[in-house]
Amino acid sequence: MIRFEKRNFIYKFYTWLPITVLYISVLNEFDFNYLNIDYFSFNFPFILIFYFALKEYNKFDYLLVFIAGLINDTVVGLPMGLSSLSYILVCIFASYLRNITIRPHLIKDLFYFLFVISLINSINYSVLFLFFSYDLNILFYIINNLFTFLFYIPATIFLNYYHQAIND
Amino acid sequence: MASSRDDFVIAIRSAFLKKSTKQKFSLLSLVFLSIFIIILSGINFSPINKIKNLINEIVYRSSFVVSIPENLIINSYLKIKAYSNFYNNYKANKIELENLKSEEISSKIIISENKELKNLIEDYTLSSDKILAKVIVDHKSPFLKTIIINKGSSQKIKIGTNIFDKKYLVGRVIEVNYKSSRILLLSDLNSSVPISITPGNVQAIVIGNGNNLGEIRYIKDNLIEEIKDKSIAYTSGAGSIFKSGIPVGTVSKTENKFLINFYSDFQQLKYVFVEIEKKGTENQVDIKNDNVNVKSISNTEMIKLDLLNDQIKILDETNQRFIKENQILKSKTNEQNDKIYDLQQKVDIQAEKTEQNIADEEELDFLKLNLLYSSKCQRSTFKTGYKVGTPEYRKCILRRGKKSND
Repeated sequence: MIRFEKRNFIYKFYTWLPITVLYISVLNEFDFNYLNIDYFSFNFPFILIFYFALKEYNKFDYLLVFIAGLINDTVVGLPMGLSSLSYILVCIFASYLRNITIRPHLIKDLFYFLFVISLINSINYSVLFLFFSYDLNILFYIINNLFTFLFYIPATIFLNYYHQAIND
Repeated sequence: MASSRDDFVIAIRSAFLKKSTKQKFSLLSLVFLSIFIIILSGINFSPINKIKNLINEIVYRSSFVVSIPENLIINSYLKIKAYSNFYNNYKANKIELENLKSEEISSKIIISENKELKNLIEDYTLSSDKILAKVIVDHKSPFLKTIIINKGSSQKIKIGTNIFDKKYLVGRVIEVNYKSSRILLLSDLNSSVPISITPGNVQAIVIGNGNNLGEIRYIKDNLIEEIKDKSIAYTSGAGSIFKSGIPVGTVSKTENKFLINFYSDFQQLKYVFVEIEKKGTENQVDIKNDNVNVKSISNTEMIKLDLLNDQIKILDETNQRFIKENQILKSKTNEQNDKIYDLQQKVDIQAEKTEQNIADEEELDFLKLNLLYSSKCQRSTFKTGYKVGTPEYRKCILRRGKKSND
C-alpha cells in the first residue's frame, strides 16, 4: 500500500485530490461526450460527491462543492444555483445515509444512490421546464441517470483504493 | 414507534445542520443560498447578472485552460484521421473548388443586383462586418447545445447576433459578457429558425432535435407534398431574428418527419464568424450628410462597375472557352481534310487502274478478232484491204467482229 510522509507536498496534493478532480470535471464537463455515442453520458460529479460525502472525507468542504455547482452552471449554461442545489442535495442524502447506517454495504449504497440521482434529476428537469421554460429531452436525463448508476460500482472500487491509502 | 421517529429526526437534523470538523457552513444554509440564487437569476436581478458575467469571464477562461489536455488528445486523433484521408479529400476539394468558383461569380452578380434593387425601393441596407471568433468552450453536452466564443460586448456583440461557419448559419448569441459570449446552436431543442424551402418556396420553422439535426415543424398539410428529399433550406428572415437567405441545410424525408441535415458540422467548430450589423435607411443618410449621399452614389457606381467587371470576367472566360473550342475544331478539320486528300488520291489511282483495265480488255478483244479476221481486212496482191497497223484496219477488224456477234 502507498504510504506518505505527512506534511509532504505530495501528501497535501493527494489529500486535496478529490476536490481538485471535482473542479476539473465541472470545468471540463468530464463525461466522454466527445466519443459521440448516441445518448451516452454520465454525471461524474454526482458519483464523486456522493462517495466522499458518504465517507465523511474532511477535505471535501461543502462550500467548495457549492462553488463547484456554480461553476458547472456557468459552463453548462444552466440558471445559476441549480447545480449547486443538486450537489448540496446529494451531500444531504449521503450524510443522512451515513447517519442511519451502522454496517455500510455497497449494494445498499448503490440503490440508494440510484434513488438520490433520480430524485435530483427529476427536480432539475422540473425546475428547468416549469420555471425557466427550457425545452429538454427527458430521454437524455433517463439515460444519463442509468449510466451514472452503472458507473458507481467501478468508481467506488477505484476510490476505495484512494481512501484506504489516505487513511493509512 | 416513537423511538424510530426520533432516530429519523435525529438523522435528518444531523444531516442538515451538523457541521463536521472542517465544514464552515451547514448544508441547510447552503440549500437556502442555492434557492436564493436560483430565484434571483430567474428574475434577472441586475447585480446578480453582473456578478454572473464576471464569473462567466473567469470560468470560461479557466474551462478553456482545463480543457487543453483533453482537446489536445482529441485534436491529435482527428489530425491523424484527417491525414489518412488527405489525398481523397484533396481531389474532392479540387473538383468542388472549380464548381464553386464558377458559382461565386454568378452569386456576386445576384448580390450586387439585390443591393441595387434595395436601394431603388429605398429599403434599409444592412452593412455587416464579420469578425472571426475562436470557440473556447465546447463540451458537446447532450442537454444543451451551446458553445462559448472569445468575443463579447467589447466587440459590439449583442444578444441575437447571427453566428456563421463559413457562409452557413450556426446559431445566435444568447448571452453576452465583456470578452465572451454563449452561442445557442441550431441543433439545440430551444432553437427555432424560420426557413424557406426550395423548390416550392415553402415556409416553415426548423427546431433542433438535440442530436445534431433539425426537425421541420409548423407546416401546412397541403404543402407537405411540395417538399422533396434533398431540398435546400435557407433562412426566410421572418421575425427579424435571422437575416434572410442564409443557407441552413438540406431536407431529408423520413417516414413521419422532415429532418434538416445542417451544412455545418457543429461538433467540429473551432472558429466561427460573428456578423455585426449596422442598420440605416437611405432617407436618413440624405438628411444627415450630403457627403454620405455622394458616397452612396459612388457606392452604387462602384456596384455597377463591379457588376460590369464581373460580366467582363464572365465574357472573358466564355471567350477563352470558345477560343479553345475553335482550336480543337480547327485541328479536327485539318485532320479530316488530310483524310479526304488521301482518299481522293486512292480514288484517282483506282480510276487509272480501271481505265488501264478497260484499254487492256479492248486490246485483248481486238487481238482475238485479229486472229479470226486479219485475212479478210488485210491488203494483198489479189484483194483490196487495209494496211496492217492502221486505224482503218483496226476498224475493219472490229466491224467484222460485231457482225459475227450479231
